[in-house]
Parts: sequence; structure tokens; C-alpha cells
Amino acid sequence: MSDIRQNKLFTLLLLSIAWLSLDVHALFDPQLKSAEYWVTNEFQPSTLTQAEQMQEMNWFVEASKPYFGLQIRVVSERIATHGYEASVLAKAFFEITGIHVVHELTGEDDVINKLSAQIFTQQNLYDAYINDSDLIGTHFRSNAVLPLSDFMKNEGAVVTLPTLDLNDFIGLKFTTGPDGKLYQLPDQQFANLYWYRHDWFNREDFKQRFKLRYGYELGVPQNWQAYEDIAEFFSDDVKEIDGKRIYGHMDYAKTDPSLGWRMSDAWLSMAGVGDKGLPNGLPVDEWGIRVEHCRPVGASVERGGALNGPASVYAVDKFIYWLHRFAPEESIELNFTQAGEWPGKGLIAQQIFWYTAFVADLTKPGLPVMNPDGTPKWRVAPSPVGKYWQDGMKSGYQDTGAWTLLKNTPLERQQAAWLYAQFVVSKTVSLKKTLVGLTPIRLSDIESDVMTQRAPYLGGLVEFYRSRGRDVWTPTGTNVPDYPGLANFWWHYISQIIEGKVTVQKGMDNFAAAVDKKLKQIGERADMKCAPKLNPISKREFWLKAPGAPKREISATQVGKTLSYEEAINVWK
Amino acid sequence: MFGNSDYVSLQWLSAIGLSLLISLSVRAETIEVLTYEESPFAVKVGKTHQGLLVDMLKEMFSRTSLDYKLRFIPLKRAIVTTERMPGHCVLPVARSQEREAHFHWISPVLVSRYGLFSRSNQTIPLTSLSDAKPYKIGSFLGSGIGEYLTDLGYDVELASVSAQNLRKLKRARIELWAAELVSAQEQMQKQAINFGVPELIFYTSLRAMACNKDMPREHTLALENALKSMYRDGYMSRLYLEYGVKI
Repeated sequence: MSDIRQNKLFTLLLLSIAWLSLDVHALFDPQLKSAEYWVTNEFQPSTLTQAEQMQEMNWFVEASKPYFGLQIRVVSERIATHGYEASVLAKAFFEITGIHVVHELTGEDDVINKLSAQIFTQQNLYDAYINDSDLIGTHFRSNAVLPLSDFMKNEGAVVTLPTLDLNDFIGLKFTTGPDGKLYQLPDQQFANLYWYRHDWFNREDFKQRFKLRYGYELGVPQNWQAYEDIAEFFSDDVKEIDGKRIYGHMDYAKTDPSLGWRMSDAWLSMAGVGDKGLPNGLPVDEWGIRVEHCRPVGASVERGGALNGPASVYAVDKFIYWLHRFAPEESIELNFTQAGEWPGKGLIAQQIFWYTAFVADLTKPGLPVMNPDGTPKWRVAPSPVGKYWQDGMKSGYQDTGAWTLLKNTPLERQQAAWLYAQFVVSKTVSLKKTLVGLTPIRLSDIESDVMTQRAPYLGGLVEFYRSRGRDVWTPTGTNVPDYPGLANFWWHYISQIIEGKVTVQKGMDNFAAAVDKKLKQIGERADMKCAPKLNPISKREFWLKAPGAPKREISATQVGKTLSYEEAINVWK
Repeated sequence: MFGNSDYVSLQWLSAIGLSLLISLSVRAETIEVLTYEESPFAVKVGKTHQGLLVDMLKEMFSRTSLDYKLRFIPLKRAIVTTERMPGHCVLPVARSQEREAHFHWISPVLVSRYGLFSRSNQTIPLTSLSDAKPYKIGSFLGSGIGEYLTDLGYDVELASVSAQNLRKLKRARIELWAAELVSAQEQMQKQAINFGVPELIFYTSLRAMACNKDMPREHTLALENALKSMYRDGYMSRLYLEYGVKI
């Protein structure tokens, strides 16, 4: 014990000396003085001590000297986390390093268009991009994106933060290609979870009525049957609370690109369309695409995929049935943004598909879904799964917006941009940024005492991120070789089904055929890594009889199952 | 989108070969290209057409052996016509997700940088766009950049036409002028006012040429490859410099 105490004292002494020497240095160095200002006044709380933060900042001051006076451009989507980076962190970075960053905010689709344009034109439009890790399958095949793991060992070694601590990032596997290389550095992360009114679910009268009618406890649904029963209970049985019409389900279905995300962000995997295996299911993933030795070989059942199989049809069927049967009438005309406002109105009992990016919006004081003490009346919990789902499969969607450097950016600008990227995810900054945007990326932040104190005010977000759920909820995988091109198909084909132009089966057949055609087109690039190579067409029965996905039709219905909130969040412990 | 962009020269070369072969068979067809007046990108001067985009189009088609005819009509009508009529293209158009599935895209035909200009005798140092929050920014009605700044909570004053902003800035009725750099150069020249370089270049927009969905893939591929070669051999950089800006 005394040895440990001595070691601690020695470490403390060293840190104090380092802190004092930095402090003296700071008197003369304007950049260190700036760093001290920002560390003291903005970058609190942090998982680092103030002395450790200053050491990290000192490294930035030294490493950025060759780039002093340089102006770089980066672009990201427009969410609170990036707003904080663009208006606060870019300014701090400039004052600390002398590198001027223009951090532009725009739509995610525009970010991708710009990244594509830089590759196409070979013009240095931006020096770094923050884009969704859904594009990992595109990036690793493109030969245009700089593998960061190579960069950090070679040209980027001198500008790689010694305290970056890559193992601390919870989303690193989402941004790693099948070749084992890291292509993107996570900057913000969010999940899609089940959302419900914890206060309503705990009302004794509702609990008794539900049990009487359905034979099991009202609680967090573990499967789609329970979700459907609860939706029916609130929409049809309870109907009104405090004189207001309430609903057991909320969703959106406007013909709009956001309808595509509603489906492509893992809806099929929640139904159980894909195979077992994380992060995306192997050999068939959550888009229903079969892969063999990293090559996509088809999406249609006829080629071994599952996009038009019975499980996919079940997934889309349920989406449409619940929308018409239990959701507010307007929901069919709403898009993602418009629907996002609804749970906050206090009229919705549960929502199976809810992005945690809305946590900040739904914890605003004064909302009907907030208690006077600042805690929410709602909770998030792991999402229920459909009847084709089995243990070992992906359970839901999570994504990370991540830093991406292009090979055709001049080296000096890549290095300066890499410094900025690391600055905004550094341990000095990241806990504060997490509290602002609620999009955690570091395990050290998630496990911090500060997050423990915040947890009761965030409705289960912290509990989710502290559970194994953070590994089971995953983004689009590497099977999707052209995410921007293929993502558009989702809303185009699903909207035809919703508008009643085709049956669900016919619509999914058309969709699968279109994906196969696109895969074939992409596969014509002979020089592409892991290029798609379509399987020959076989009879549906051939693949449906084979083990795994595509799965044969299950005619039996599920038996509803619920758990208490505490039990539900412990499932993924 | 990545499906339209090739990363490797081998495929690019084979595509050029293919498009050259195909161009022989499509030479007789004329593509109707629709645009609208937006100085200095596309303007009608008497019976002639001038501007950055007019020059760009001429060069692009000359590299394909496809024929084209340029016609000026209002943007909304041009988009509807192109969507409905085979053999038509429209430019410059913002490529949004909503429009994505309705056209073939040749992009980017226009890279626009937007800056904030201050009066020549008053420097307003801007480290980031948020530094412009306390200031009154001039833009004009219908301008995308004015809308962008308003959405972000900036104090934007809209003039009925862009040119009014120069006078407003000169007379200190606004403190910053948000403008596209090529247009700003032209307007400053026309009005003999020089605000120098912008305090901050804060936004980049890309615009595309949208072509009817039924346009043969060989045609769009030929145009796409021509455009790509124009960027890669430096033609586009030289063209932008002629109009006073770097890409």
C-alpha cells in the first residue's frame, strides 16, 4: 500500500511540475495562454485533470507550428454537435494553434455530394469531411479515401496525438473496413431505440387493464407482438388521457428521402431479415444483401439475398399496418423532421423507431413529457424484435459521423485537418462536447461520474451506452458498395408500396431487382476491391430451403413478451 | 452518387474509349440545353450567349462530339421541361435528394464559393461564421445563401436585387455583404466599387446539369467524362481565373 501511495505522490509531483512549467511558459506564449483560457472557461468538465488537459493542449501548440497561419476547410451535417464545433471549437483551435478552420454546416446529402465532387474533379474543395459511417462499404472500395491507420503510421505520424487513445472510441469498428484498416475517425454517435412513456406504463390502472386483456404485464416490449398489443391498448382501449386523444404508436411515411432512412436504418434487421453475426449479419446483412468473401452477390432471393424474402415482406407489412391502424392520421403525410416533434407533444405512448439525436429536444424544460424536477417522463430502451429475429443478430441501428480525409487533398492540408479532427475529439474537449450534443463517442466519457450524475435526466441514454447494446446496434455495413447510389432506392420503392401502387411483395421484388441491377453495374469496375459479382438466378425455393437467410415464411404469430424497464436495460449488460 | 464517380483511371480511360465509339452513332442527335439568365454565368447579349457556363458548355460538348442547342427559359419551367422531355438538360441546378431520382446528373458544372465582404475602410475580422452574428448582413430576395444565413439565426437584410447590396454596404446600411465570389467580382467591377477580398469565405455550393432520365447512358457518360477531363487538365481552373476567382 505504501508503495502505491508513494507512486501516486510521485506522479502528482511530476504533474504539478509539468503544470507549473506550462503555467510559466504560458505567461510568454500567447497560444498557451489561449489554451489555458479555453481549458479553464470552456472545456470543463473533462475526464482529464486540468494539468493533463494543458499537456494535451501543449502538444497541439507544438505539433501545429508548421501549419501556423494556414486556413483549412471542413464540412459536416447540421446538428447540435457540429454546430458547437463550428462556432466554439474551431475558434478555440485557431487561438490555440494558429490554424484557421472554416467549419461549414450543411445537409448530410450535400456533404456526400461534395465529397464525391472532390473525388470526381480532383479539386481540393475541402480538407476534411465528417460523414456517416454508413459509407464504409463505399469508402474502403473507392481507393480515394485515406486509410487513417496507414496515415497515422506514416505521413501523419508527426501530427497524431499521443493521447488520442483509439481504443477509447466506441464506434471504431463501424469505421474499419474488411481489410482491417481504419478509414474514418468517429466524431459523434447516435442510436435508434425504443421510446415510451414510462409514467403511463407505470400507472396501476393501465397495468391492471392491460394484464386483464392481454394476459401479461404492461412493460417494455421485447418483440413486435407485444409492441402491437401495447399500441392497440393505448390507441383503442385507453384512447384518451386528461381529455386528450392519445396514440399507441407514432411513425412517418411521406414520400421523401427520409422514408428511406426509416427502412434502411436497420428496420429489416429488427424484423430478423438477415443472418446471425455482428455487426451486420453474415452472409446476408440487414439490407438483405448476400456477401461471399467480401463480394456482394445479390439482394434478391433468387440470387441468395433476402430483400424480397418473406421476412422483408413481414417487416414492411408491419410498418404499414401499424401506421394505418395505431398512429395519428397525419403521420402518413409527415417526414422525419415533422414526425420528430410529435413525441414531445405528450400524445404518444410509444415509438418503436426513435433516434437518440432527439434526446436534447425532448428534455427541454416545460415540455408535456418532462417532470418539474427536470427528469423526463419517458425512457428509451432496447428495441423489440420481429418474429424472424434470433439471438446473435443485429438488433438495431446506430451510426457515427466520422472524420474522412481524401487522398487527393495536399499533404500539408491533410495534416492540418487531421490536427483539427483530433482536437474536437480529444479527451480535453470530448466530455464537454458530449454534454452539449449528447452524441457520445468515448467510453471514458460514458463511464465518467459526470455522466452518472446526468443519467437520470437523459431517459436511459447513458444506460444504453453503458450496455453491450452499443455493439449490437450498428450502422450500414461493408456489403453496401455504393451507399449514396443505393440509399435512394429505399424511399423510391417503399413509397410505391405505401402509395398502394403495388403490393408489398411486388414492390420488394422490384426493389430487389433494381439493387441487383445496380450491383451488377458497380461490379463492372473490374479494378474495384471486393467488387460485386452476382450469383446466377436460381429458383426461390433453392435459397429458401437453405439454412439461414433468406428465411422461409413463418406463419405462426409471436407471443407477446414484456419486461420491466430495469430488466429490459439489463438484457444487454 | 458514388456510382457516377470513378476513382481509377483505368475505368475512366475505357469509358472515354467507349464514349468516343458511341459518339459516332449519336452525332446526329442534338441535346437541348436549358438555362436561365444569371450574370456572369449565363447572359444573353443581343443574339449571342456569354458567361462562364456558356464557355464551359461549349468546351464540354466539343470534347464529346455530341451536338447541343442552348436556350434560355425560367428555371422552374426548365426543370419541368427537362423532367418531361427526352433529349433535354437544364443547368445550373442544385442537386437535392428530392430531385436526385428524377434526372441523370452531370456534376459539378458550377462550384460557387460565398464570402462576407466588409467596407474597404472597415475591417471586421472573422475567425468563424459565428463571429458575424452581431452584424447586419446583406443578401437578396430568393438567394439561397440569404436563406442559409437566416436559418442559422443571422441578422440578414434582403435587398430586391443583389446589386443594391454594394451601395448599402458602401453607405454603411449593412455591415457585411454575403455574395458569391464570381458575381461579386463582376458587380464590383460594374459599379466601380472595390471591397477587396472577403473577410471570410464561409460556404461552397455545387450545382449540376440535370438531364432527362431517358437520355442514353452513353450520352451522359460522354458528358461526364468530358467534364471530368476539364477539371483534371486544368481547363476549369483557368476558366474560373478568367472570371477572377480560384475554384
